[in-house]
Amino acid sequence: MVGRVRTMAVVGLQAVAVTVEAHVAGGLPGFSVIGSWGPAAGQAADRVRTALATVGVAMPGRKVLISLAPADLPKAGARFDLAMAAAILLELGVVEQAALDGVALLGELALDGEVRPVPGVLPSAAALSATGVHRLAVADANAAEAALAGGPEVVPVRHLAELLAVLRKEQAPRPAPAGDNDVAAATVPAAGPDLADVRGQAEARRALEVAAAGGHHLLLLGPPGCGKSMLARRLPGILPPLTDDQALEVAGVRSVAGLLGDPVRLERRPPLCSPHHTMSAAALFGGGTGVARPGQLSLAHHGVLFLDELFEWPRGVIEALRQPLEDGVICVARSRATVTYPARVQLVCAANPCPCGGGDRCSCSDDAVWAYRSRLSGPLADRLDLAPAVEPLSAGDLLSAQAGESSAAVAARVASARAVARDRWGQAVTCNAVAPARLVRQSVRPAALRTLANAVEAGALTGRGYDRALRVARTCADLEGSQMVGTDHVLEAYAHRLGLRQQPTAAASAVGPAVAVAQW
Amino acid sequence: MTTADWAGELSAGADPDLVERVLRLAAAPWVHPERLRGAVEANLDRPCVRVEDVIAGLEAAGDARSRPLPRRAQVREVALALLRHGARMAIVGQPGYPRRLADAWPELGAPLWLFLRAPEARLPAAAAVAVVGTRHPTVDGAQTAVALGRLLARHGVTVVSGMARGIDQAAHRGALQAGGATVAVLGTGFGVDYPAGDETVREAVAAAGGLVSELPPGCGPKPQHFIWRNRLISGLADVTVVVQGRVRSGALHTARLAAAQGREVMAVPGSVNDPASRAPLDLIRDGATPLTRLSDVLDIVGVVDAQRGGMQDGPATPGNTLTARLSADASDLLTLIGAVPAAPGALARAAQRPVTTILAAVAELETAGLVRATPRGPVLA
Ligand SMILES: [Zn+2]
Repeated sequence: MVGRVRTMAVVGLQAVAVTVEAHVAGGLPGFSVIGSWGPAAGQAADRVRTALATVGVAMPGRKVLISLAPADLPKAGARFDLAMAAAILLELGVVEQAALDGVALLGELALDGEVRPVPGVLPSAAALSATGVHRLAVADANAAEAALAGGPEVVPVRHLAELLAVLRKEQAPRPAPAGDNDVAAATVPAAGPDLADVRGQAEARRALEVAAAGGHHLLLLGPPGCGKSMLARRLPGILPPLTDDQALEVAGVRSVAGLLGDPVRLERRPPLCSPHHTMSAAALFGGGTGVARPGQLSLAHHGVLFLDELFEWPRGVIEALRQPLEDGVICVARSRATVTYPARVQLVCAANPCPCGGGDRCSCSDDAVWAYRSRLSGPLADRLDLAPAVEPLSAGDLLSAQAGESSAAVAARVASARAVARDRWGQAVTCNAVAPARLVRQSVRPAALRTLANAVEAGALTGRGYDRALRVARTCADLEGSQMVGTDHVLEAYAHRLGLRQQPTAAASAVGPAVAVAQW
Repeated sequence: MTTADWAGELSAGADPDLVERVLRLAAAPWVHPERLRGAVEANLDRPCVRVEDVIAGLEAAGDARSRPLPRRAQVREVALALLRHGARMAIVGQPGYPRRLADAWPELGAPLWLFLRAPEARLPAAAAVAVVGTRHPTVDGAQTAVALGRLLARHGVTVVSGMARGIDQAAHRGALQAGGATVAVLGTGFGVDYPAGDETVREAVAAAGGLVSELPPGCGPKPQHFIWRNRLISGLADVTVVVQGRVRSGALHTARLAAAQGREVMAVPGSVNDPASRAPLDLIRDGATPLTRLSDVLDIVGVVDAQRGGMQDGPATPGNTLTARLSADASDLLTLIGAVPAAPGALARAAQRPVTTILAAVAELETAGLVRATPRGPVLA
């Protein structure tokens, strides 16, 4: 009989049950792995064989055949080492099949038999419950992460010898790290930067609040050093904390990316990623050899993606953002597999208001500024909803302006606006930004609709801008606790879009002829 | 429609023959103010310059080749076009011709005819002050013009200006906001959208005082039109106030014409460092009265500062539809928005209102065409 051991592969965030079978026979010595594999197979063979030797299982002159099923899965990395070793031990009769029933194993083996952590343990552990597995053996360093899932009992193993001892019931499994790591306990977001530090900036603060309450994408326009990134970094602090499921998804992405921090805790604060414009597309969207790892876009899932210096970004990258922003997921094709990572982000962009950077000494002509702003047109402009001016701080502001309202106070308003929206839309619609236009219109007063319709007629608003402005207006009304969207809400939403305005075409911008002095 | 019919409608109370002859001249592109001045000057050595002589002189200057006068049918077309635009023609010496302008006839630049669109086809008879200045004012300059417009209108003084963007429109708007009378002298004929997109303001001024042009309908803007029109701005006003202007500005020209017409000239003293204050400062140096407080202008006009007498804002005139439709917040904000862009945050600080109120008001003004969104923030349209 061929022994079977269970483990998990991870494709994107999807964990898939994998069965490992080992066949040991006489014949020309060798160690081969069946199933789509790769050059890493040889290394896995070396690690497993050498590690087994450290527990006294040597296989001189034996032919070892390992199969991983299903065969068509990409199986990158060393995550199956532990399962392969266990499968051989089973095949050789060193451990009983019963000892491995309902047990999954995930881990890399060092040549000395030590068990090393692997990425993607959290989504694997989370998916295991559904497969009838009730125990999961992982490296010590992965144990806390595995426990986050709240699924199977976690059996930490330091060394292959410890696994062997546990499987042979010579030693009781060590308890998994318990305590404040499970879902229920970690409810308080870690303290982050506070909005109280932001002085003045009435418009930008308001826009940030509206963006947070409705999930709208935001563009901050202001000269260097005026505090654009300071504002952006305070958005996660006023967004609602992540739900259980969201927190697990976010941690899952970090796990797959190998970035789950130490100590492992379930972060309730929405993530913020601020990639630099020189970053490769792979690092932003996900990539790497073989099977793609998640990029910054997915690491910002359920959180904020902050693109500073928006106009410096390559056009192609911005263009490529369009689809994931629409779909909430990003598909990355690599040689071994096309994987899908979640990418439901709130976009915050920042840019200088004019070619010279702006500020007091700006002497750019209006035309130059319009030309500069025309870079906004195209893929992204249609997705941004609010473009407040972030004003350069004057010395007077620094000295006299009172501390701003705290993040906690703003977050409370955001939370109640979100609650109102949730009650209205139900589960299907997560925030106003993604509410169907048809539904949004139903709660807008006719006079308010007419105001916006007039703006469309006057060419001040595109059809798409019309619906986006209505959604923002819906959020303004929610912040005010108003059931219906009124004219003031619509006007405010319209004003938030003014910064996104492109140069009026037609003769509307014509300037009168210069008047010279002449005697009549 | 017979000649008597359209002439009677176009210029009620005037002899139809005279109306047709003058309109014939007015419709000929070569009969421009320079030509008119020539015709007037040819008669200056006579004891009295008669309108009839000037008309005859101009008619005699025409010739079929280079200076054709339009045929009767063409003149009729122009008349009908004017009537379609709701315009009337006023001929010097005839009913409907503004009194103050008549004072400048003949040698001080008063036109032989002018076209106007005004309630009852009459410009307001009250005292009038021209508020003029640059197309590119500072925030302070634009605010001064708005405040002047308001103050004058509130005291029943007509505000005259040139409808250009910047100081001119700020002054018109100030008067409109106070529900008062304001008159604009255009650099185009009627039926031309200039400054483009400002139809709302033009219509409001037409209803709240009047639009004046000496150019035939449909005649587009040309640099010389704005130079010519300056003498009408100064001539229609008792006092000309220059708010801001740079060296060689049109406002400076208007002020010099006003002085030549024997009218009072006032100038708003600005900073010596501000290029936009060059014209008023030069005028003060040359003897213009500095405006040390807004109410100075009322003293000069000879109007009692009614505020001191306890008079309140007069009711808005029914014709003033522009500001009547605005919310109170938007009206207030209009006085704060200058020709230099200000961010909503800065406006909120200045107005001491919540930024949401300011944003809604900015949007209201922008959709109403009263302010224009620039990449740097809202400015007066
Ligand atoms: Zn600049």
